[in-house]
Amino acid sequence: MSFEIPEGLLCTKTHECVYQQDGTYFITITDFAVEQLGDVVFVELPEAGTEFAAEEVFGTIESVKAASELYAPVGFKVLEVNDGLVAQPELLNKDPYADGWLLKVELTDVSELDTLLEYDDYKTEVH
Amino acid sequence: MKVDMTTPKHTPLYQKHLDLGARMVEFASYYMPVQYSGILDEHKCVRENAGIFDVSHMGEIFVSGEDALDLLQLLVPQDVEKLSANRAVYAQLTNENGGIIDDLIIYRLADEIFLLVVNASRIKEDLAWIEQNVQREKFKVTVDNQSENFSLLALQGPKAAEIVTELGLPEEEHPEYFSFIEKNLFGHDLFISRTGYTGEDGFEIMVKNDFAPQLWDKILEAGGKYNIKPIGLGARDTLRLEAALLLYGNDMDESVTPIEAGLAWSVSKSKTHNYNGKHVIKQHLENKPAKRLVGFVMLDKAIARHGYEVYNNERQIGVVTSGGVSPTLGVNIGLAYIDDLLKIDDEISIKIRDKFFKAHITKRPFIQKVNKIVK
Repeated sequence: MSFEIPEGLLCTKTHECVYQQDGTYFITITDFAVEQLGDVVFVELPEAGTEFAAEEVFGTIESVKAASELYAPVGFKVLEVNDGLVAQPELLNKDPYADGWLLKVELTDVSELDTLLEYDDYKTEVH
Repeated sequence: MKVDMTTPKHTPLYQKHLDLGARMVEFASYYMPVQYSGILDEHKCVRENAGIFDVSHMGEIFVSGEDALDLLQLLVPQDVEKLSANRAVYAQLTNENGGIIDDLIIYRLADEIFLLVVNASRIKEDLAWIEQNVQREKFKVTVDNQSENFSLLALQGPKAAEIVTELGLPEEEHPEYFSFIEKNLFGHDLFISRTGYTGEDGFEIMVKNDFAPQLWDKILEAGGKYNIKPIGLGARDTLRLEAALLLYGNDMDESVTPIEAGLAWSVSKSKTHNYNGKHVIKQHLENKPAKRLVGFVMLDKAIARHGYEVYNNERQIGVVTSGGVSPTLGVNIGLAYIDDLLKIDDEISIKIRDKFFKAHITKRPFIQKVNKIVK
């Protein structure tokens, strides 16, 4: 599988990532993580309006094999939850950067993005 | 300090798995395929068509000699004396307290020759325990661990029998359920049994390592028109859970008896011969044990996993031993030990990430055997 990697994608070593589209920040997990998880069957995401500090647990993804916790890559406030993904968790396997995004967020402090890895560096780290 | 430098072993099919694009994981000290096309897809394929599994990591131990039967009678609660040649039986190796050291299938090859197929992760413990019993009783037996020399392929699914016919074994020679035949095919001796671990009809074929890769290809070729697929450990787990087949280490271990584990059906009630742990097991048979394994279906949308706590009216009554999705039923299911005598349909709740989710106790297996074996 090959995905179109959003420009300027920033990642954590724990596979969460942030990208910006039309002025909005999106949170999702990397294509590498999706491939490792296998069939995603359940996602548990926070409600709109909830705030998280960097590294706080903000949700869970369950694959057929196991449950994996999601850690906030940077501090954020949830603007919108991807209800389509909650209804059809397999969208994450289809494309985590398109219909499979998790949250639309507002960043608490944009400078926290500097702590994240660029996609190429992330790939080198995790492979 | 002694450092364990062992690296995982390869089954003779290791290269086949890589060629097929499997994702490999370390399991019971072997590199094993966890999935090829995807767990859900593979699961469906076994329920609807057929799948082939590399289970070469499992242990094969031959027990022979004039005291072989006496040894086995001492080792398991099943009545092995009733096992006729060319038949197999599911059983457990029990310790003095009736705890389960391992679960296994015993095949009777001849009067005084038996084959034990055991869990890969327990080979060492099994051998030590068997040896201890042999020494204690001064039995005249030969215990021959052939685990490194034999490969085991499992062919499972409603189309399995047709594929075996296609492979060259005429239907009239197919072994019956829990029986086996030894047959020379393609110039190699195959040991073909009608057993498996998916809740489907199927066969397990044991063969010397050197022929395993070729046999794997031949089965895939013979199964081509039946849409056979290679199946990994991931789907093996969802399949066995739907069929409510227990996984050693998850659903049973040395701390539970076969009765607590819901395996009373595999314990002989009429066996007069003594066996390890008989006093405890008999007691559990007569008076219900304090805890027992039950099946449950989640009512709320959440997945229970191994180790999660089970509650009834805010009181913890047990723990989940296996849990996951049931691809066939489209619900989330699991097994748990509970210390209350709740009944089928009673509600329980399971603590998942500090929240409580409703479930109810159900009958096992979760799926009925859809593809009944005709014979």
